Amino acid sequence: MEELRIGVFVCNCGTNIAQHVDVDAVWDAVSALPGVAIARSYRYMCSNPGQEMISKDIREHQLNRVVVAACSPRMHEKTFRNACRNAGLNPYLCEMANIREQCSWVHTDQLAATEKAKALTNAAISRVRYHEPLESLTAQMCPATLVIGGGIAGLTAALELADAAHQVFLVERTATLGGNLARVDLTAPHLDSARDLITERVTRVGANPRITLMLNSELQSLAGYVGNYAAIIRTKNGNGGVQERKIDVGNVVVATGYQEFDAGRITHYGHGKLPNVVTSFEFEQMLRKGRIETRHGKLPQYVAIIHCVGSRNREFHGYCSRVCCMTALKYAHELKSANPACYVSDIYVDMHAFGKGHEDFYKTTSEVKTLFLMFDKNNRPVIRKAGANDDCEMLIEVNETLSRERIEIPADLVILMVGMEARADSGEVARLVNISQDKDGWFMESHPKLDPVATTTDGIYIAGTCAAPKDIPDTVAQARAAAARILGKIAKGKIEIDGVFAEVQDDQCSGCRMCNELCPYSAIEFYQESRRSHVIAAACKACGACVAACPSGAIKGRHFTVEQLHAQIDGVLA
Amino acid sequence: MAIRVNPKLINELETYGAADVQNCYHCGNCSAACPFSKEPFLIPRRSMRHLQMGLEEKLKGTLEPWLCYYCGECSQQCPRGAEPGETMMSLRRWLTSRYDLTGVARLFYRSWKAELVALILVSLATMVGFLTMGFGFGHGSLDVYAGAGALFPDHLVHLLDLGLAGLLAAVLLTNAIRMWWLTTGRNRGLHISLWSYVKNAFLLPYHFLTQARYSQCEKKAPWLTHLAIFGSWVTMEVLVILLLERFHHQETIWAVHVFGYLATIGLLGGTTYALVGRLRKRETHYKHTHPTDWMFLILIAGAAFTGIVQHASYRWFGLDSVANIAYVIHMMFVVPLLAVQIPFSKLSHLAFRPLAMYLAAVHADALADVRVGVAQTEPARLAA
Repeated sequence: MEELRIGVFVCNCGTNIAQHVDVDAVWDAVSALPGVAIARSYRYMCSNPGQEMISKDIREHQLNRVVVAACSPRMHEKTFRNACRNAGLNPYLCEMANIREQCSWVHTDQLAATEKAKALTNAAISRVRYHEPLESLTAQMCPATLVIGGGIAGLTAALELADAAHQVFLVERTATLGGNLARVDLTAPHLDSARDLITERVTRVGANPRITLMLNSELQSLAGYVGNYAAIIRTKNGNGGVQERKIDVGNVVVATGYQEFDAGRITHYGHGKLPNVVTSFEFEQMLRKGRIETRHGKLPQYVAIIHCVGSRNREFHGYCSRVCCMTALKYAHELKSANPACYVSDIYVDMHAFGKGHEDFYKTTSEVKTLFLMFDKNNRPVIRKAGANDDCEMLIEVNETLSRERIEIPADLVILMVGMEARADSGEVARLVNISQDKDGWFMESHPKLDPVATTTDGIYIAGTCAAPKDIPDTVAQARAAAARILGKIAKGKIEIDGVFAEVQDDQCSGCRMCNELCPYSAIEFYQESRRSHVIAAACKACGACVAACPSGAIKGRHFTVEQLHAQIDGVLA
Repeated sequence: MAIRVNPKLINELETYGAADVQNCYHCGNCSAACPFSKEPFLIPRRSMRHLQMGLEEKLKGTLEPWLCYYCGECSQQCPRGAEPGETMMSLRRWLTSRYDLTGVARLFYRSWKAELVALILVSLATMVGFLTMGFGFGHGSLDVYAGAGALFPDHLVHLLDLGLAGLLAAVLLTNAIRMWWLTTGRNRGLHISLWSYVKNAFLLPYHFLTQARYSQCEKKAPWLTHLAIFGSWVTMEVLVILLLERFHHQETIWAVHVFGYLATIGLLGGTTYALVGRLRKRETHYKHTHPTDWMFLILIAGAAFTGIVQHASYRWFGLDSVANIAYVIHMMFVVPLLAVQIPFSKLSHLAFRPLAMYLAAVHADALADVRVGVAQTEPARLAA
């Protein structure tokens, strides 16, 4: 083994580190350690002069290891690895000691903080001597994409990808395209026809030779990793039989949508018992048929719309379903245009009119004389049958919040604005494509703000209401965002795989398969012929679960070897 | 017990002049802008809400519209153009019709044609009556205005005046009692002491004569205009009801007549200002004009103008016959103004406004008593 020549670079981070850590003391303590060829401290290591200092020292002092005592590696590890690469040093021979987030920022005692910074830096020095040069790998990127779900999200993503001249497999469980949007009459706030929105897309999908449309089909299984997935699609044919087809895809868009809340769960709203209490989707059906009528075929004179059915209440779903408020206003408009004398009362918890044009829509709904009544979400309205002398079918008792009065309003028809919920089988889908769900069953994004359509599994994207309730513009934006992410990857042609992953040492593997089930990323496959497990480097996230679990110690976590970790612990305790 | 809403109330109020009430989404800007919105009177927001919801009985019993003087600040601040100021105005019209048991006020407010027909009929009846009195049993001469042989002997006219005044006072009193009953008397939750009624009684003449609350609005000009019209009108009433015989005396009695001049100037100036304002629609409170407002202003202006003609013909030019004709026309304005507008229309507010101020003070007393009672029963708070 060549002689160790370690360079240690201690950053002041302006006053971020220097205020609570005596940087010179750290520098003084490490500069005499065995193997340390040079030690420096500087105000901002991440600045261009700081990076150049590191590169220059590597060249001039023939350094073969670098330790940067600065911030979190999440912040600047890439920066310093690049500085090493620029000087001809393998980037994995660089190690960071986090003396900012884990030291200066969280301590006030300067002496103790300085001692801790010394220990952390010492640990990094101790560890880095066991670092090995690593190379990143590349894999092929299959340009075909699997889109699961034929609603507005799936249709949009499929068209976006196919229009860029790539193969798309569009899998839809039912016999028709359009999803939940196809059940809707007009859309808020512009009162455009939902049918028009979908028909254009469905026609284009049907006419596009690059889209393989698979109706009555479901994903059976998905194996592989980003760029190289193999999916098995199961299709029901007309005579009750089932066909299976294997397709190769590089990426997957999950656009499975939502299901509506079952209004019958709120028993005192009487859905299913009172004949003229309908859900929003049942009312959409009336609108699509062009006949708004009670069960007895009469034109309703009094219509009540109740918001937040199943939403924004801990008893059912704590979240807001985002589209019901505007849909309710849309109903008020449609009712008033069908019968201007109709008395429409809109019974809401809070009016959420957050989108473009929504506030104006709310105002115009007021102008057509919709009665807005506010109720407390823990004190729901009560619906009962009207008496023989009343000129209405039902009476609704509302504890009205704005006036603090308990009032009774007439209704011939009650529309329950049912919220969105994760589909009953969303857990199954999540398991198939290996993504996570939140507490409500919605699919989890990689980052809720910065990476909203990617998931923690590379190559699997989510779009639309399978991720959370959202309206049409947001759904379409997400579908296009997912397509853009995939097109970017396809354009690169190859995928780069980080050099840090787990490796099975074949000669030590007993084939017990314990790691196969344990891997949270489904990155370990089993070779039947040799009866050995194998880690798919591209799918491995280097979490180390298999390394720790292997009873034979046959799995080596690259860049997190036992020697490296032991040396780090020894260093911190020294 | 839940209150059953009246779904048609908001439409009914539209015939009284309300517009765009439904646009209100209860941000509360109006009540923040109103200098009079203080517990227990939340002006104008609570009335807006009750009207939107159709809580008819609650509205019938409210004093709040009478505590608003329509400075227009609320309507200017409203982000949704819901016109709370005009809503309060229309509620005052509606309440006037609720206090009136005959249903005539309701008819007049809902149909301006009905009121116009009534005014014309009363006007014509006045003409017939005066001509019958003059030429029929009075045997007077068209060429004599005052003194012996006058066409309209002043003692007869004075008797008529007193009769009409008594009749109108009786009608107004009935309506005022009904207002008391709706707002206060029937309210079982309100325990009012006799002392409170006595102690606050001075508020009735005080607010009647000064409209002191109006002066607390941020803009002072509307109050001054109102005070000018009101002061002149009351002066005239005092002159014609109490001092008519001196007013009609052959000699000009300056101690009396100077008030007549001043009142005429006040009436003409005030009504002209209001008419021009309502035509120009620049100020918020002049933007919406109900037909009854036009009729009211035109009647006052007409009465004042014909009064001048009659006075000038007799006293300046000595044209007794012209003065007599002008007097009949003058009466054709004055009698409808009093006989129609006092019991059944806009002028009735001369009773309801001061009564509302008085009852508001009485209500506030009763509620303050309740609060003191509550405070006493609460356990003393322990020191922390």
